[in-house]
Amino acid sequence: MNLQEYISSGIIESYVLGLASEEERQEFEQLCGQHPELVQARDAFERQLEQQALANAIPPPSAIKAKVWAETGLENKTNLRPVVRMNWMKYAVAASLVLLAGSLFWNLNLQKQNQGIQNELASAREDLNSVRRSLAAMEADASVLQKPGMKMAALNGMDASPASYATVYWDTASKDVYLMVNNLPQPPTDKQYQLWAIINGQPVDIGVLSMSQKPLQLYRMRNTQHAQAFAITLETMGGSPVPKGEMYVMGKL
Amino acid sequence: MNQKGTYSEQELVALLREQDEPAFGYLYDNYAGALYGVILQVVHETETANDVLQEVFVNIWRKIQLYDPSKGRLYTWMLNIARNAAIDKIRSRAWQDSRRNLSLPDNVETIAASTGPKTDDVGLKRVLGKLKEEHRTLVDLSYFQGFTHEEIARMLDMPLGTVKTRIRSALTQLRTLLQ
Repeated sequence: MNLQEYISSGIIESYVLGLASEEERQEFEQLCGQHPELVQARDAFERQLEQQALANAIPPPSAIKAKVWAETGLENKTNLRPVVRMNWMKYAVAASLVLLAGSLFWNLNLQKQNQGIQNELASAREDLNSVRRSLAAMEADASVLQKPGMKMAALNGMDASPASYATVYWDTASKDVYLMVNNLPQPPTDKQYQLWAIINGQPVDIGVLSMSQKPLQLYRMRNTQHAQAFAITLETMGGSPVPKGEMYVMGKL
Repeated sequence: MNQKGTYSEQELVALLREQDEPAFGYLYDNYAGALYGVILQVVHETETANDVLQEVFVNIWRKIQLYDPSKGRLYTWMLNIARNAAIDKIRSRAWQDSRRNLSLPDNVETIAASTGPKTDDVGLKRVLGKLKEEHRTLVDLSYFQGFTHEEIARMLDMPLGTVKTRIRSALTQLRTLLQ
């Protein structure tokens, strides 16, 4: 086949303009694969056609582009993208606000909880200290009672108050006197219990009871060099030089 | 896109295949007018041409994967999409119904008359206007109205071989006329 004749036969124009028959098209494409000159000639005509068309372009109404973009979904990609981003921002802001609110609430809760725990801790510490103090006092009492040479006098209730009961511990070495109130009625506010050491039949004042101690804790009283018995009377506030009130308990050493 | 704000055809095709929106915008801005001119030469009506142009670019976007650079330039591919879409439009029942008064070219005089230089003295048609009358009619029927060689032979009562030869002859002159 003569390529030049083929090239100038009109097949190129026919093919490029879409006027060639199916067989002509297939033959042309096959020959193009074999003859670069044919491709070159085709390309040259295509460029001419394109130049001619571009030179004679008629601007279409601008609305068409928008329609194309809308129909292909490009409108969404280009125009709606910022909107989508804004929505995303909105959601992000909303989400952070919710998180912030949640965090604040959480913090407040934690703070409250923390305050509660602090208070509980403080009160527990107080309790603990109080218990420690009691324990220390009781330990001190116990050590006092366990001292060698400690003598004990059980003071039993008298007619005025048969259920009353107290105990006196007397250190034979140091002569210290301790009193444990096992059971005494709460005195009227203007009265006070007073402890007496009975020495040779005479009562000697060895102190008034403040009633500040817890039950079974020891009151340290004034010393006495010796005594045969101890008694408690109810006297006016501040005590009395001699017993005037009713006797509640008494016991021999 | 390079610094000049233009693409090589290879770059353009590659980007279009990746569904690159700016590349498609460039394609539209640079080729819509050229294709619109071609479409108008087929459908003659602005409204219809607008619809066809829209359809053509939507199809270009959707069918870019089908474009085979070994078979020709991108413009040629788009031109054929545009021409086919325009011809399909004028062949469609709806379009024909709307133009019933003009009717299908079942009578050759109407067709021949419509191919006169007065119709569209622009674009490829102006080039065609420089062809001899017998050639011009054939190219118009074939290219702008989309009739097959067989249909043209029947319409013009001309031997098929003569139709083919004359169209080929007319097309060979196109190349010279385009220069």
